[in-house]
Amino acid sequence: MSTASVTLHDPDVYEQGVPHAFFAELRRIEPVYWQPEDPPGRGFWAVTRYDDVVAVSRDAQTFSSYAGTAMLSDFDDDVVELQRAMMVNMDPPDHTRLRNLVNRGFTPRMVGKLEQGIRDICHGLVDEIAERRQVDFVHDIAAQLPLAVIAELMGVPDTDREKLYDWSNRMIGFDDPEFQVEGSDGAVAASEIFAYANELADRRRAEPRDDIVTKLIQPDANGDVLQDLEFNMFFVLLIVAGNETTRNAASGGMLAFLEHPEQWRKLRENRELVPTAVEEVLRWVSPVMDFRRTATRDAVIGGQDIAEGDKLVLFYPSANRDEDVFDNPDVFDITRDPNPHISFGGGGPHFCLGAHLARLELRTLFETLADRVPDLRLAGPARRLRSNFINGIKEMPVRLW
Amino acid sequence: MRVIVDYDACEANGLCEGYAPDVFQLDDEDQLHVLAQPGVDAAERVRQAVRACPKVALSLAEFADEAG
Repeated sequence: MSTASVTLHDPDVYEQGVPHAFFAELRRIEPVYWQPEDPPGRGFWAVTRYDDVVAVSRDAQTFSSYAGTAMLSDFDDDVVELQRAMMVNMDPPDHTRLRNLVNRGFTPRMVGKLEQGIRDICHGLVDEIAERRQVDFVHDIAAQLPLAVIAELMGVPDTDREKLYDWSNRMIGFDDPEFQVEGSDGAVAASEIFAYANELADRRRAEPRDDIVTKLIQPDANGDVLQDLEFNMFFVLLIVAGNETTRNAASGGMLAFLEHPEQWRKLRENRELVPTAVEEVLRWVSPVMDFRRTATRDAVIGGQDIAEGDKLVLFYPSANRDEDVFDNPDVFDITRDPNPHISFGGGGPHFCLGAHLARLELRTLFETLADRVPDLRLAGPARRLRSNFINGIKEMPVRLW
Repeated sequence: MRVIVDYDACEANGLCEGYAPDVFQLDDEDQLHVLAQPGVDAAERVRQAVRACPKVALSLAEFADEAG
């Protein structure tokens, strides 16, 4: 390697920024690259090309999310067991059963019904910042939007929204000292979320409503129902997967616009570009940077022999800049079309359940900002999250003109 | 060519409908219907739809004796 070698699981690396130059070199020279790890890590194959990430994603029989979870880090056996209660760490047919209990709420048709509510939330957020000269885009805008949407979906009162914000920071920020009092704080946050989810479910049992919580705790047409642990884990998944991801797509997208003012000008002048702009934001940011699989049998990926039991890590920011798929992949271009990015995953069982919801939130947000807050400028450095999982921004001071 | 739908996997993402509305249709309850098996004119659009399905819920059976 001519570029200095980068340790792909080191959270310090990502605190400085996604190592795009290193990924580009891997795609060219060693697209399925062996990354050694210190114990208890077992080392992994870093999958960096688009076609290979897609192939692995779509073959859940060969590449399991259950065997070693979908997370890059290797956990103790008891933690692995707990993780497996979450859909993201399951394989078919268990995964299919749970997913079919919840997916009907997230189709384009169902999500479309939320449009006016999401528009109101976006306008409400802009109302709150409109009188101020300077705001933290992350806390005041990007984080509030998905929290408000989840709160509305799940029937969480507005007064508890800060709680969700705190929990999600502690769940995701496990590698960032700023968000963690100590190593086990993520587990404490998880148990607090569980207790809250139990309360929520109890309230709906006593007093059913026309909302997703009520739907989830009642048997479906087949008499199938989510168990308590499954419901709690779904709530955790929603708080983590439906929250940090959208927050960081919004923050990272806004940062991209601030760094490419000509693209922001284009959007302000032509609102019809909002849909392609959001796809480009998703490609550019790749809010979830990686998921892991474990080979259930010997296989070949990108010409590389993979042995049964090997760990593979799929790097979406790399696949999303694969020059075999995207022209000028390092250019942020809001008119890019087609834009077959895989920020929602490479397809297959784990394709992002909230993709349509995320798109609607991001489209509405950028449209509202372009309409009502046309002139934004960075008022200080954006501070990045120390994480090898989420491409996150913790703080981004922005001045309004 | 015959379209095969894995209804367990289908999540009504609707990409297929976008590529080939004459073949695929989602109803008001998000149930997918195959309106007609694709003729020669729809074949390429249906192949695109099959590739695009994020849940890999669509597949094609192609018969060697079929024209086109």
